[in-house]
Amino acid sequence: MDRTLARRLEARFESVLHGAARQRHDQTEIRIGAGDVIDVLRSLHDEPDLAFTMLADLAGVDTGKEMQVVYHLWSATTTDWLRVIAEGLSRDEPRIPSVTFLWQGAEWMERETYDMFGIIFEGNRDLRRIYMPPDYTSFPLRKDFYLPDDAARSTGAGVRHVERSRSPVDAAPGVLRRTGA
Amino acid sequence: MTVVARTWDRLTLPGKALFILIPLLGVLTLGLVITIALFGQQILDILIFNLPIVRFVFSVTILMLIFVPMAFVIIYMEMKIIALMNLRIGPDRVGPWGTLLSTVHGLKVLMKEDFTPGKADAVVFTWAPVVVFSTAVLSALVLPFAPGLYGQDMNIGLLYFFAVGGMTVVGLLMGGWSSFNKYSLIGGLRSAAQIVSYEIPLTLSVVGLVILAGTMSLNEIVIQQSRTGWFTDWFMFRQPLGFLIFAIAATAEANRTPFDLTEADSEIVAGFATEYSGMRFGFFFFAEYINVFIISAITVVLFMGGWNAPFPSPHISWIVDPGSLGLWLVILIAIVPVVGTLALAAPFYLFRSKTRWWVALILGFVLFNVIAGGIFSLWAYINFDWVAGLFWFVGKAFALVFLFVWMRGTLPRVRIDQLMGFAWKWLLPAALLNLFVTAAAVLVIDAMKAAPK
Amino acid sequence: MTTETAPRSGEPRPAPKGTHRSTDDPNVLLQDDYDFYEPIPPYTPRTEREAEFYTLGDGEMFLNMGPQHPSTHGVLRVVLKLDGERVVDIDPVLGYLHRGVEKLVENADYHQTISQVDPLEYISSLFCEWAPVTAYERLLDVEVPRRAEYIRVLSGELNRIASHALFLGWFALDLGGLTPILWSFIERDEIVEMLAALTGQRMLFNYFRIGGVNGDLNHEFMSRLGDWMSRAVGQIEAGMGLLNENEIFVRRAAGLGVIDTEMALRYCMTGPNLRATGVPFDLRRTHPYSIYPELEFDIPTRTEGDCLARYLLRMEEIKQSIRIIDQCLDKMPDGPIMAKLPRLIRPRPGRAWSGVEGPRGVYGAYAISDGTDQPFRLKIHDPSFIHLQAVGALLPGCLLADCMAVMASLDPIMGGVDK
Repeated sequence: MDRTLARRLEARFESVLHGAARQRHDQTEIRIGAGDVIDVLRSLHDEPDLAFTMLADLAGVDTGKEMQVVYHLWSATTTDWLRVIAEGLSRDEPRIPSVTFLWQGAEWMERETYDMFGIIFEGNRDLRRIYMPPDYTSFPLRKDFYLPDDAARSTGAGVRHVERSRSPVDAAPGVLRRTGA
Repeated sequence: MTVVARTWDRLTLPGKALFILIPLLGVLTLGLVITIALFGQQILDILIFNLPIVRFVFSVTILMLIFVPMAFVIIYMEMKIIALMNLRIGPDRVGPWGTLLSTVHGLKVLMKEDFTPGKADAVVFTWAPVVVFSTAVLSALVLPFAPGLYGQDMNIGLLYFFAVGGMTVVGLLMGGWSSFNKYSLIGGLRSAAQIVSYEIPLTLSVVGLVILAGTMSLNEIVIQQSRTGWFTDWFMFRQPLGFLIFAIAATAEANRTPFDLTEADSEIVAGFATEYSGMRFGFFFFAEYINVFIISAITVVLFMGGWNAPFPSPHISWIVDPGSLGLWLVILIAIVPVVGTLALAAPFYLFRSKTRWWVALILGFVLFNVIAGGIFSLWAYINFDWVAGLFWFVGKAFALVFLFVWMRGTLPRVRIDQLMGFAWKWLLPAALLNLFVTAAAVLVIDAMKAAPK
Repeated sequence: MTTETAPRSGEPRPAPKGTHRSTDDPNVLLQDDYDFYEPIPPYTPRTEREAEFYTLGDGEMFLNMGPQHPSTHGVLRVVLKLDGERVVDIDPVLGYLHRGVEKLVENADYHQTISQVDPLEYISSLFCEWAPVTAYERLLDVEVPRRAEYIRVLSGELNRIASHALFLGWFALDLGGLTPILWSFIERDEIVEMLAALTGQRMLFNYFRIGGVNGDLNHEFMSRLGDWMSRAVGQIEAGMGLLNENEIFVRRAAGLGVIDTEMALRYCMTGPNLRATGVPFDLRRTHPYSIYPELEFDIPTRTEGDCLARYLLRMEEIKQSIRIIDQCLDKMPDGPIMAKLPRLIRPRPGRAWSGVEGPRGVYGAYAISDGTDQPFRLKIHDPSFIHLQAVGALLPGCLLADCMAVMASLDPIMGGVDK
């Protein structure tokens, strides 16, 4: 556990941090606002004494009051995991800048987060649903999503979306296949 | 409701079929008998007058009848050998050691639904397997299986073989194009590119051989490889480079691993055959394995001595005229099997007390038949040229089939650009080099022979 | 006597308007307006990237590969934009195996989540359990007994070998080689039987528990393990010997799908795919967990970064795993296999992230507790998902046949990709 990391981070990002950096086990946690994501992550990635060149994970969180996007970073200079929590996204229209300019691999993680939480990552070139059907309207991992009801009410329920070829005529079941007399 | 209609209704489906078929057969037989009685001589005259056509029809029929069981044998071989190479058991359910599995597959293929995709070009789609299958059978027409055992002996046999064999690509392209499926299309186009490219080194590699042999008749080529009777006469040893090129290009021609790009299952599902099912797929499938045999057979004919044994065999002629035996013939036919069976059954009955007498008799009979069959085969081998020839020909051809199966079990698949590059950058120059060296050597030797001493 | 039946012959009834009868079965009606099937989605494109992809250039065509394709490793659907046989662009379509595990986990008790995350990556399920279990242990501040840690490492390394052995087979199969997969299944089957003796399951082990493991080493496991260890190296070398010196295999795999270090980091890659580019990043050494600091093993790296390097690297890792298993058996301590924990776990509110080095890369779990007996949020980080998106950058310019080789060399498992 790297005791100096929290102090270094506090000194470097004093102005943008929400509260102090926390450390538990081998993990350091800092909280920032959604607007500061680009600056903070770019500094963490580029500055040689920090050198957090690896994005280990990108997760969305719905706390029930607000949305958060959580980045886990790993550096070559320390064995600590750094958790950057971008907090304070509104639940009605969560927007946050994309980090695909630093890590191309975040593209699908952001797509997944968008698919599950509806968080819009500005700057992601391909922000569309990744798991759920294209005409699905809900965001399943939000806390106000109720499992059976929402799925049944969705326009995506029971519809075959993409494949449209050679489907028998559902509307006229009588003429579809002759039943034995 | 008449009595007839009621009786008809009570019949089962097979009953109805038999009810129609038996009178029909009777009428047909009667008609045939009458026709032969009235016009037999004229029909015979017409047949004799058109003997080449009759011979053609007859030999193609025989080839078709032989080739489907042969495809079954090769399919079984492939399943079992690859299974053993993969450390699996392989087919072991239908028949002894699973030998009938490929036959059952054939029956299954016959009974499956023959499906035509909507939007497919139905006519081309139906005719593609026919083209592939019939070109395979037709190209076998010139193969000399044994002395005197061939469909046609053409003086341009080799040319005919390549010309008809190359038609396969038309069938594959038809199947690929008409299926209305992009995988099929890619498979068909790949096969067109591949077979057309490999035709060139394939044909060029045997030109040197043709120069040496001085003929294109396959029969003549085989006879030329039997001057001393030893295997050193085979063209394989006089044209090693040509043999190598031919073997590689032939593998590509037969669409076998590592050149099975047309039906690469991990890339384009099943290539041209993706949309085929039922017997139409069966024709493709049989044609593939028939092609394997034919390619092996042509390699044997051209480079491995055809029907010739690898060593000179003793030429004994021991033909017994059955008429001269008299009473001994009766004894031979009636007594020898009984005595032989009893003599061979006795040890089973005497030395194992558990064996029932009838079990011992059956065992003895089977054993006697095996021994008698062996003796008879040996007699036939020594006595008849064509039996010995067929034995060696089929033996060598199946050795090469085994080689193809072995390659399939061992090698991965090449990529299309590597395939093309190999044909045009390596095989073609090598074939040309082979041709040039052979021609130069023949010229020099001829000049030395012709030079005044 | 006779009843009135439908006419058996003659003209079928006229088809309703807008339909026609199938040529195969006149009883089946088909819509008239079904047309050439193209994998173009029937809605307006949602992003510029989608619009760009689904616009065909001159001489290009779409090829819809999957979800039912022999070699897409599960139900991956890839839409390829082809120019002849050359891939111009690629759009992977996911979600055919999506089970919503993260939502299911939020509605399950902490212990129940282990069996939920198990089927994610069905080839190496132990690592799928390992990451969330360690995350919960960090939430709970619980110390895992040393014997349990040794058993975890032992079974995990066995699972890694099984996964890598299967990779060898798949990779060869996608290149058209028939035999290696069946040879490698011998390896996998022995290991799977072994783990079945230990855990009770052949595939989805559900073995790790919060604070330990489910059962102690037993006689059958140990005898099978000893039996296998005596011939493991020979078997694996036999399988590799079939490929390593095979000219066709080496020519197809070498120089294909090259990833350099910069690109690997940009694509967030981990595991063998990253190490094949020359970065010795292995969580077992760089971020030690469990008892790995006590064990001796090397982190093999290669610098080429192509398919062949990724294949060879995995084969090297098998040998290192056998080394680790040897040491585990040597050093295995006595003691309990479970920490003392209550049946119903209610961790204090907090957040914990945990990563373990699996056969495909870092398996991560990010757990948030709100003080109840169910996790508030569990984010599963799956390496297959991360690696699969690199095919979009690797494939353009390749041939159709190379798609499978590149995809197989990244070794994605669709269960993990689709969660």
